[in-house]
Amino acid sequence: MPSSIIRSSVAAEFRRGLVESMPVLLACIPFGFVLGTVAQARGLTLVQVPLLTGLNFAGGSEFAALGLWTSPPNVLLIVAITFLVNSRLILMSAVMAPMIAHLPRGRAMAALFFMCDESWAMALADAAKRRESGEMRLSVPFFMGSGVGIYLIWISTTTLGAMAGPLLGDPRVLGLDMAFPAVFLSLLKGMWKGWRAAIPWGLSLVCAVLVYVFVPGAWYVPAGALTGVAAAFVLAEDRQ
Amino acid sequence: MACTTYLTRVLGYLALHNRKLSPRMRAVMEAIPGCVLVSVVAPYFASGEPADLCALTITLICAIRLPFLATVLIGIGSAALLRQMMVF
Repeated sequence: MPSSIIRSSVAAEFRRGLVESMPVLLACIPFGFVLGTVAQARGLTLVQVPLLTGLNFAGGSEFAALGLWTSPPNVLLIVAITFLVNSRLILMSAVMAPMIAHLPRGRAMAALFFMCDESWAMALADAAKRRESGEMRLSVPFFMGSGVGIYLIWISTTTLGAMAGPLLGDPRVLGLDMAFPAVFLSLLKGMWKGWRAAIPWGLSLVCAVLVYVFVPGAWYVPAGALTGVAAAFVLAEDRQ
Repeated sequence: MACTTYLTRVLGYLALHNRKLSPRMRAVMEAIPGCVLVSVVAPYFASGEPADLCALTITLICAIRLPFLATVLIGIGSAALLRQMMVF
């Protein structure tokens, strides 16, 4: 294949990733605003907010870190909670590993910086469609289009939130926080493979809700995820 | 914090790079995405606010029936409306 065709197909795939992620990008905007507002209220400066969201780029852990923010911050505690909240990323990159095995290691490591819940879910939903036509590899430019788009939206909206947050009023009154479950429930529907495959999801939800109600902190994310993984492990044995 | 996050991003890739997965591991891997997503949104299901739970139910129905963006917009709109109407 001539390199110009490869290049144009890379650009086309990048653009496709960006365009198909539009709903996700829009859903990120209110979160970025809310996070920026919270960070600003916690005393972070207009330089520190994009540093936090740009270097870390994982919203859940950023919300958690701001909840634990003191002066001076307890770095060890924040690092430990960050690891817990983001432990799902380990599982997520493990799922992606066989689909990006064709990439040189350096490029894979660079691409993985842009892996977040949304870009990963978009790329995997796309990979599932490609698998039907016999293509086992992930479309990396599609993933990058989604990931880079979300990255830029995340940094810019968190910064804007820090600037304009105090003027915006209560984001809850505007219902903006409901964008989060709306996005994730839509993504779940895209992954739907029948009731049996959804049993681990149900157990995850029940366990995560219970842990969220009874245990303070962000333990509900790893607890719920691991319960579902254990259930999937047991169910897979039944089938064989 | 940034290093920790990046570590979680590459750890799964480095640990499973060029390794063949058993069918069972593959089944487990396929279940992981949904498990993680429902766990992250669990606090919304645990909300004590009737308005929030109603809005979440509407959002859930939309997610099953409607495309992505419509679900997000109706989710936001229903939360804003119900919170204004259902004040206890």
